[in-house]
Amino acid sequence: MFFDKKKDSTLGETFDIKITNYLTDGLLVFDKNNKIILFNPRAEMFFEVVEANVLGKSILELSRYEKLSPLVSLLGGGIKPIEKQELDIKGNLIIEITSVPITRNREKINTLVIVHDVTKEKLSDKMKSDFVTLAAHQLRTPTSAIKWSLESLIKEEHGEITDDQRDIIQKAYNTNDKVIELVRDLLDVAQIEEGKYLNKLTFASLEDLIKSILNSRTGEITKKKLHVEFERTDIPKLMLDIEKMDMAVGNILDNALRYTKEGGKVVIRLESNNKEVELQVQDNGVGIPQSEQWRVFSKFFRGSNVMKMETEGTGLGLYISKNIIEAHGGRIWFESDVKRGTTFFIVLPVKERFGEFLNKEFY
Amino acid sequence: MVLKILVIEDDKFLRELISQKLAKEGYEVVEAVDGENGIESVKKEKPGLVLLDLILPGIDGFEVLAKMKSDPELAKIPVIILSNLGQKDDIEKGLEMGANDYLIKAHFTPGEIVEKIQALSE
Repeated sequence: MFFDKKKDSTLGETFDIKITNYLTDGLLVFDKNNKIILFNPRAEMFFEVVEANVLGKSILELSRYEKLSPLVSLLGGGIKPIEKQELDIKGNLIIEITSVPITRNREKINTLVIVHDVTKEKLSDKMKSDFVTLAAHQLRTPTSAIKWSLESLIKEEHGEITDDQRDIIQKAYNTNDKVIELVRDLLDVAQIEEGKYLNKLTFASLEDLIKSILNSRTGEITKKKLHVEFERTDIPKLMLDIEKMDMAVGNILDNALRYTKEGGKVVIRLESNNKEVELQVQDNGVGIPQSEQWRVFSKFFRGSNVMKMETEGTGLGLYISKNIIEAHGGRIWFESDVKRGTTFFIVLPVKERFGEFLNKEFY
Repeated sequence: MVLKILVIEDDKFLRELISQKLAKEGYEVVEAVDGENGIESVKKEKPGLVLLDLILPGIDGFEVLAKMKSDPELAKIPVIILSNLGQKDDIEKGLEMGANDYLIKAHFTPGEIVEKIQALSE
């Protein structure tokens, strides 16, 4: 028995040690001093270390073992609580780590570290997104060819066409452009799912980014006679992948512009409490039906009321936006009512340390 | 003098479409169907501009560009990349390697491509 009942070991009373021998997950148990008291056979297999060699050692001492050192770096000397964090311990094994403190009277008495093998899931995810990437890429050449040949017909490079013919060809051209847009979105989604999404982060102004998006949408705003207000206070600059953030915020603004009826109102608010920046995009448009709100951020979602209005949109915009915002450490949510319209909220963290570093060290 | 443009593109239909357009605009057009063929044509034809696809059988477009830039006689020929690769990494790589412009096929029509060529050759 590893749990001596004479000692103050709370787990020992209720815990049958043998069960842990048969778990398909790796299990590590630490005592209140962060010393290891259990290291089950599956953990031995994952980390290529035998229990007898590590019992009684502190978490930091475990970093001596090559296979355990990434785990030690992840957990830290105090074994912080972690939920399902991925860890690559060797080329062909990907594990998911969860660490849970067990407390009595608000005092930590043990810590469980659960090690789950997700190699197969990751491999099939990768195959899926590789397939999507490949398929999308293969679609690009033919869609370009269709675009180019339809354009040459519209420009009458192969002889005159009637207005009737022009109308049909123009519709085919627009439809093809939608396929091109869908292919582009699918490639973005595949990249998101591979987890390699953000590129270069630079210190940038969210206000400038919103202004430039609004500038590029003036045509649509004027055409629909929309009242667009931009209320802002001074906000700190943020660490952003500008291209991706432009897409994320652009999608939200486009939805507000697109799903608000002629003469409607869109209010954009930008404020900050120094730790976070909050962006609100409020419209008095068609809203999202209550029964569909739970899947707004899922792939290919399109509101049933919206599908009757117009056919444009791939249903990938908000899924992409949410992923971009979260990759920046932010949050996104909304409130919506089919009578009053929709408000989207985006909160992004201000990277203080970086700001301080710049201010103090360079100026 | 008429500007001679070398089109390096492996897809037959796309190559025909862009070549026809360029010829119609009054340019002299030479074609190459892959990277190796492209390099040979650059040396032989000494074009005034190269339209370069990136994904090509054998030697790819990046390599063609690198070979051109390392040859003092060819380095000064302007290159416009015309590719389906639209990732930021690819675009940055192409421009860093010395391409004058980078156009994504699906986002530009031949008409717009001609405008870019005109702007560059002025």
